[in-house]
Amino acid sequence: MKRTTIPFGPQHPVLPEPIVLDLILEDEKVIDAIPTIGYIHRGLEMMVERVEYTEMGFVVERICGICSFMHGMGYCVSLESIMNVEVPERARWLRLIWAEISRVQSHLLWLGLGADAFGFENLFMHCWRMREEILDIFEQTTGGRIIHSVNRIGGVKRDISDTELAAILARLQKLGAEFKETAKVFGTDPSIRHRLSGVGVLTMEDAKAVDAVGPMARASGIRMDTRLSGTFMYDQIEFEPIVEIAGDCLARVVVRLREVEQSIDIIRQAIDRMPKGEGMPLENKPRGNPTGEVFTRLEQPRGEVLYYVKANGTKNLERFRARTPTFANIPAMIKLVKGSDLADVPQIILTIDPCISCTER
Amino acid sequence: MDGETFLAKVRDYHEAGWRLAIINVTTIVAAAAPAHGAHGVAAVPTAAPAPDAAPAAETPNLFEIAWGFVKDGTLETIREQIHAGDTVPSISEFFGAAFLYENEIRELFGINVTGIGVDLRGQLYKTATKVPFSHAAIKDRLAKNAAAAPAKHS
Repeated sequence: MKRTTIPFGPQHPVLPEPIVLDLILEDEKVIDAIPTIGYIHRGLEMMVERVEYTEMGFVVERICGICSFMHGMGYCVSLESIMNVEVPERARWLRLIWAEISRVQSHLLWLGLGADAFGFENLFMHCWRMREEILDIFEQTTGGRIIHSVNRIGGVKRDISDTELAAILARLQKLGAEFKETAKVFGTDPSIRHRLSGVGVLTMEDAKAVDAVGPMARASGIRMDTRLSGTFMYDQIEFEPIVEIAGDCLARVVVRLREVEQSIDIIRQAIDRMPKGEGMPLENKPRGNPTGEVFTRLEQPRGEVLYYVKANGTKNLERFRARTPTFANIPAMIKLVKGSDLADVPQIILTIDPCISCTER
Repeated sequence: MDGETFLAKVRDYHEAGWRLAIINVTTIVAAAAPAHGAHGVAAVPTAAPAPDAAPAAETPNLFEIAWGFVKDGTLETIREQIHAGDTVPSISEFFGAAFLYENEIRELFGINVTGIGVDLRGQLYKTATKVPFSHAAIKDRLAKNAAAAPAKHS
């Protein structure tokens, strides 16, 4: 049969960021997909050559506008590990709280984009309305809605008072109750089910074979979550990773729906368990220049992120590398696209929750 | 250790259920920079001269490559230092996701990787400098940065 090549992207209604897949089709079936990225490659890793390690954290935050807090946190944790800096307990709890708020924000953003892509404008607006509230919380606590810059090597820059934390929790729980209604639409609406159920199935074997991470892997039945290793205070939180077994587009949506509620519960536990009081230490400043290297892993909303930092005793790091979850999930995406119908390609690409800015740095 | 031994080690990780988490390259530019803190299993992927052979009079152009594998929250690396111009075998045969990392290190570092599962033929990134992390490119930038040092850049 005659083959046709269709370029998917870099501009496409479902893609908020540019990526190209050259889809090779036989009739309506995709036979092969060849990715091209690089449209927003900014060379941020290279900037360690001229930006001092103390300032690099603010650059790292700008890798992506959705996971910005967690990028900053990952960078600071890496440097703290190299420089043997003990982070005060309250600062560690605050980081966990901001990280989980980021997860809620990211999932709401994605659920909105997802809804828009499969034709539910109204659902998109509801998700983004709720996300605005999360951004308000960020603005109130960090001063920034997208770029927060509260992470410092050795701790955090700002405290959130206990009364403010209680108010934030109440606000999140109210939001959680509202979100349940929205989640019901995602879970039960027949046209959504029809559009997503059974589409783009990634079996557990395939997910393992392509080293998928995050919600992508969890939707295929793999119990994988970097938070399980118990670092960054997660050892004091009771939670069980959300796992679905269907592996299709709907399962990936459901994992994220359930993770929103789970993150709000994690924030509740954190606020319960963190040490209370005003004026507690938040930062232990590092001394001198770092020497050594480290790999750091965190669970971002899209899955495991991995940072490599190598320092040679000067003000500039020798190497900084971020391997983001989307980078790890692109092989899974290509695997899913191959063999699918052309009409299902947008849904498949979207349900991996691609963050191209992260991927390209 | 040759390429076959390296691939055998990768196969062992694959068969024991490890997941490929990263392939990371560091360009070693600083004079006489030893691989401090290196842990994990060492491997020379090709028949290239052993990196820990007697140091040459002038610093050779070296890259350090780390293949990182994760299982149950543990990360282990296979590390090796190679000379610029050496060839590294692809591990796509065992880890299908390796192709993206391998295309990346070829484009950004100029390291030849043989047998990549999906060869993107230099289409992955669009960079202003052809091989931005080659020794020559980094040295060039460092020299420019040093020259511009008194004026604080943004």
